[in-house]
Order: sequence, then structure tokens, then C-alpha cells
Amino acid sequence: MALLSTVLARVAARVLPLAALLVSRPTLAGQAVRASEYQVKAVFLFNFAQFVDWPAEAFADPAASLSICVLGPDPFGDFLDQTVRDERVGGRTLQVRRYASADEIRSCHILFISRSDRNLPEDILARLKHRPILTVSDIDEFAERGGMIAFVTDRHRIRLKINVEAAGTAHLTISSKLLRVAEVVTATGR
Amino acid sequence: MLLTLGVVGFTRLAAAQQRDSVGALKQLSVEELMNVEVMSVSKRAERLSQTASAIQVITQEDIRRSGASSLLETLRLATNLQVAQVDSRQWAISARGFNSTAANKLLVLIDGRTVYTPLFSGVFWDVQEVPLADIDRIEVISGPGATLWGANAVNGVINVITKDAKDSPGLLLSGGGGTELRGFGTARYGGALGARGRFRVYGGGFARDRSALPNGQDAADDWHLGQGGFRVDWDAATSSRVTFQGDVYDGRISQLSAGDIAVSGGNAMAKYSRTMSETSTLAAQLYYDRTHRNIPGTFGEDLDIYDIDLQHQMRLGARHDVVWGLGYRLMNDHVANSATLAFLPSHVTRQWVTGFVQDEIAIVPSRLHVALGTKIEHNDYTGVEIQPGGRVNWTLSPSTTLWMAVSRAVRTPSRIDRELFSPSQPPFILAGGPTFHSEEELAYELGVRHQHGVLALSVATFYSHYRGLRSLEQVNPPNRFPVVIANGLDGESFGAEATADYWLTSTWRLSAGYTELRVHIWPTPGSTDTTRGAGENQSPDRQLFLHSSADLPAHLRLDAGLRSIGDIANRQVPAYTELNAKLTWQATANLDLSVVGQNLLHRRHAEFGVPATRREIERGAYGLVQWRF
Repeated sequence: MALLSTVLARVAARVLPLAALLVSRPTLAGQAVRASEYQVKAVFLFNFAQFVDWPAEAFADPAASLSICVLGPDPFGDFLDQTVRDERVGGRTLQVRRYASADEIRSCHILFISRSDRNLPEDILARLKHRPILTVSDIDEFAERGGMIAFVTDRHRIRLKINVEAAGTAHLTISSKLLRVAEVVTATGR
Repeated sequence: MLLTLGVVGFTRLAAAQQRDSVGALKQLSVEELMNVEVMSVSKRAERLSQTASAIQVITQEDIRRSGASSLLETLRLATNLQVAQVDSRQWAISARGFNSTAANKLLVLIDGRTVYTPLFSGVFWDVQEVPLADIDRIEVISGPGATLWGANAVNGVINVITKDAKDSPGLLLSGGGGTELRGFGTARYGGALGARGRFRVYGGGFARDRSALPNGQDAADDWHLGQGGFRVDWDAATSSRVTFQGDVYDGRISQLSAGDIAVSGGNAMAKYSRTMSETSTLAAQLYYDRTHRNIPGTFGEDLDIYDIDLQHQMRLGARHDVVWGLGYRLMNDHVANSATLAFLPSHVTRQWVTGFVQDEIAIVPSRLHVALGTKIEHNDYTGVEIQPGGRVNWTLSPSTTLWMAVSRAVRTPSRIDRELFSPSQPPFILAGGPTFHSEEELAYELGVRHQHGVLALSVATFYSHYRGLRSLEQVNPPNRFPVVIANGLDGESFGAEATADYWLTSTWRLSAGYTELRVHIWPTPGSTDTTRGAGENQSPDRQLFLHSSADLPAHLRLDAGLRSIGDIANRQVPAYTELNAKLTWQATANLDLSVVGQNLLHRRHAEFGVPATRREIERGAYGLVQWRF
């Protein structure tokens, strides 16, 4: 036990000051910007609200809020709520909703489908077809499988793949500003 | 205590860091956002957060970075296991105590195939190799998993899952050698099979050096194994999948005072799964497994196992998620007895029929889930065994989950309990117990998982009560011999398993694991056992693991893992601390060069066994070249 304590004490003595150093450094200055995966994805979802146009009928009234929804186990923790708190897009407030199954989805504008054994994108997408909901996920090959925006992690960075055709079918218009930085893909007939 | 303080410190730091960064991230353009380095600690915790049990997942990345050279060595990464290397080929692996080279309370599966010997309800680890590059993940559950997994999942389940063939394309060559791991090489090739199919084939082998006797002389137990195999995955339709896979192996291990041990065998497996609707999935699997083992001077065995399993998962309404299954296993076991040791009768055929059902009820969807279920099993020794369990998963906040479980599990008799005799002719010194029945466990578990930004923490606590543990009853006390095997011991165990995972930067991850364990075993009234289960339970009271994993400049990666293992009092194994380290240079996109140091702190050290027959593990180093194209 004495040995364990000594080892722990040594590690604590070395690691804690290092961690403090890192935190006190301005985290978003310079090249090495870093954040946790779902923190970044939450901010992406918030950005999508600004880069996508929904048809008028997607909202109950001109003042209705824009819903960002999570289907299945929520990987964001409180990041998503933190991100949209007190924000407005085009005069609308933002709210976060969470759903356990696709059948429950009522009001939703951006739907993040979480990676889970239960979430089979083909089935969920078939249920949502033609509804003006921007579907987003990090499930493997999501855009190729008919989803609209896929998050792909490549060497610690998040890239976007966008299936423009799928978005068009749901009468959503994705801004060229977003398309320019994304890889545009088409669905592979599986 | 220090660990607790450290963790509190980390939490505060992480929280401070996070508040700053959400606001700052929102100021970035989409292009800038795409340049943010992400730390994916949550990817791992995501799956874990839904499980109401003490689960740890060893990912492919963990394996690749660890410097582990075999499946056995990767299991050291699961801090909720007790892992001890006994000699060059033998390992003792268990969870929540009851460790020995014939540990019998842990269930091990490789791609759904139970790796199991009916001789002692355990695992012959020296023939369980899997090409490490093809492993997708290893799920390690400590605590009972009997409700879903069945008998022997008394104190834990190890579930090795290999990659889908589509995730192992192209040619991969790896090889190297060193002081303890003398030489090894693996070649794997993956490709397409028509429009919907993918395959891979592999072949490889290794030669391991001898371990040492406590006096430093070599123990003459060098170990050679060759193995090959394949896997085919076929997407028959969008909703149907078929998998075929198989392996064959052949190995040889030297012995100090007898001829070489010969091991060989193979397995073949077919799996089918069909998603019938969004709410209903059916899966079936069928396998055959053959094992041959000849230990000159001790015993030989030829074992054939045939197994078929069916599983159906369906959602009923909005709140119920039901999974049920049926299984049948047939085993044909021939033992070649020696003069000193005999399984009588030498040839047996045994059958198991199992069924299970579990309903996961969303009391408050996404917040409070309760799973109730039971396994019902029939075996040839004790008839019907019922193993029910209940689990609760309560999401306190998006970042914190509390779980609890109560389960009953049994360890059903194996051949060693009823059919083992020594010597092979009467009068016996040791005789199997004709009335030996199942060992029973009632386990209570409570755990919490917390994840906040770049920090993940988990604590699992447990209390288990055991009835009818295996005892050696003296027939004519106080004479030590002869003894008969019976269920004359009861026991209890309790403790805690804690883990912490923290990304200091996007390229530097630290993790820690700590386990406290107490096991008490006592004879029941009327028992003449004097061993108090010492042979069954050779586990340290505490273990500490620290791991650092860093990407350095110039395409270098450095990993170091320190383990500090408490003493095993009833076998006089001293406490020890050892260090493994791996440095990898990614020379090109296709070529990795690594050097690995194992057990660096001491020239040699003991991990297991009584002093008289103990083997010691020597410091080792090896080089590794890996080439993909």
C-alpha cells in the first residue's frame, strides 16, 4: 500500500500542475484548438440551423422555435443545451428535444440520430421521408445510406458529408457556404 | 485517498475548461470548426453508459497502442480483471476473485463462441489466440452476467469481438522478435467477394521464450503456436447478414521433466441475422469446436463441441424491449488418463439446453430503465437451474448514470468436480464428489458513471454471497488424505472497481484503474475441509493501473502502462509493480515501426503460484514492424 501511495503521489504531483497549465492557457488561440468530440458536434448542429432553409410549413407559426432533436441515447450530455441556450436563429428561439424512437418525433427541424445498436438509419429515414427534417448522424456511411449530413471523424477532425439529393427530397435548402466545405455524396443503392 | 483527490481536481479543471470552450467554439466559422481537434473519449463511454453493469471496453486503438502481443496480454488492459502470468503459456484470469489456473467463474466468448472446457468449467488460455489487428473490441464485464449469458458467467464475462470483414481490407504484414517473445509474424489479406460480400484470411505464429525458476534457471517451457483462419461477411439483403468464420491452430510447449505438450484444434461457425422490422431482429448461430491436447505424464483430451443458438429481440409498444433466446450444446469428451490422474469415466457425452428472456422496461424513457430477466438451463449433472436478475439504469443527468443490479448465478458442475480421481486406480487419494451440485451466488451491485467533457469516471461496488463452493472433504480427519470433492464451503466477496479516463490534450490521454477486493471463504457445519478455498481463490486485495498514451511530434507515439498488484497472501506471492512501454514511429502512412518493453522494472518477478513450483516472468523487449497496403 505504501508503494501505491508513493506512486499515486508522484503521478498526482506531476500531472496536476501540467493539467492546470493547459487549462490556464488560452484554449482557442493558435493552431492547436481542441475540444471534446460531442462539444464540436453540438456546435455544428447549431451552425446547421443557420445554413439550412426550411419550408414555411415546417413551423407552426412565424414565432415557433426551431427544434434540435436527439434520437436514441444522447451522446451530447449537456453540450447541446449549453450551445443553444439564449440563442436565436432568424428570430426563432432554439430548443433541444430528445426522443427514444422515430415514432415519437413530433416537432423537429434538425434530427441527430445517435449511434446505437437500435438505430438502423434505413428504417428511421424511411419513416421520416418527405418530412422537412434535416437528418444528421455519425453512423457509418450515413449520407451514403440516405441521411442528409454525416459527421466523419478523420485524424481527430470532423468532416462533413452531405447528401444534397436527400435534403432536396425533404424540401430543405442547404446553403452553398456549407456545401463548399463538405464532401457532397449521393446515396448508394443498397 | 490520493486517487479521490486527483479525480476531484480533474473534474474541476475539466468543468472550467468546458465553460470557456462552448462559447469560444460558437465564434468559429464552419471551416475553423473542421480544424478543431476532437477527443473522442465519449465514443467509448457512449456504449458503456447504457449498460447497467460493470463493463469495460478494450478498443482496437487500446490494443494497438498497448504493446500487447497476445490476447492474454490485452486482458491486462481491463482493470476489472485479475490477470496473472503463471509461466510461459499459462495464465490465471478471473474477475472479482476466485482466480486460479483452473478459474471457473468467468465466461469467455470469441465472436459468440464459448471458449470453454467442460473439464473444469474454465479456459485453456494457451489455445485462445486471435490476430490482434482483427479485434474490433473486447468487452469485459465484471460481476454476474448469467441472466443473459448463462452458467459460468458467475463473476464475469469476456466478450472478444472481431472486425467485420469489410473493416479489414487489403494486405497487412506484421512481424518481429525479441528476448521473451522470440519471434512472431502474421499475414492477413481482406478483399471483396462479389458485390455484397467481404472476406479476410490470415495466418501466423509465434515462438515464446521459457520462463524462469525462482533460482534463475530456465523452466524449459518454451511455447510455439501456429494459427490460421478466415471470415466472410455477406450482406444478403439490406436487412439480412450472413457470417462464416473459422480458425485452425497447432502448438507445442516444452516441459521440464516430460515430453512436449501438444495442442491442436479448430472451429467453424455460421451466423445469420435478419432485421424483420424496425422493432424486431432475429439472430441465429451454429458452431463446431474441436480441441486436442496431450500433456505427457498428466493427461490427454479430445473434445468436440456442437452448439446452436437463436435470439430474438423485439420492441413491444413504446416501453418494452424484449430479448429471448434458446440454445443447445452437445459435448463429446474423451480423456486419456495417466497413472497419477484420471477422469472416470474417460469418455462422456453431455448436453445443455438453455433458454433466456429479458424485458427492458422504459419506466421513464431515456431516464429510468429496468431490466428483468432469467436464464433457465438444463444440464446433465444437476437438471434445471434458474438464474434470474434485475437491473436498473437511472440517468441522473445527461452526464451521470447510476445503475444497480441484483442477480443469482450458478457455476454448474464440471468433470473435475465429479469425475476426477487420483491416482487412476483405487485406493484414491482424491475422489470426485458424486453429489457435487452447483455453486450458487447472489450478487448485489451498485455503480455510477460520470462523463464530463474530456473526463470519464466510473465506480462499481459489489457484494456477493456464495453457497456450496467446492471443498475438499477429509474422509478420515485429521488425516489429510484421502479427500472427496463436495460443496462444503460458503463465502462472500465485496469491493469496488474504479476507473478514470482523462484527455489532457487531444493527443495525450491518461487513464487509471483501481480495484479493491476482499474474499472470505468458510466451511459450513459438518465440513471437514481445511483448505478454506485457498486453491480456488488466489487473488490480490488491490490493484492499481496507470496508463499514459501520447502522440508525439515527428510521427511518434509513446504509451506506458504501470501496474501495481497487491500480494496474494495464501500463496505467498509478493506484491509487485511493473511497467510496459511502447514507442511507435509511423514511418510512412503504410509502415509502423515499434519497440516494446515488457515488465521493465525487474529482471524477473513472480505473479502467481506457491514458492515451490513457482515460475517467474522475465523482463522482455521486442521489435515490431507492421506494413499495410
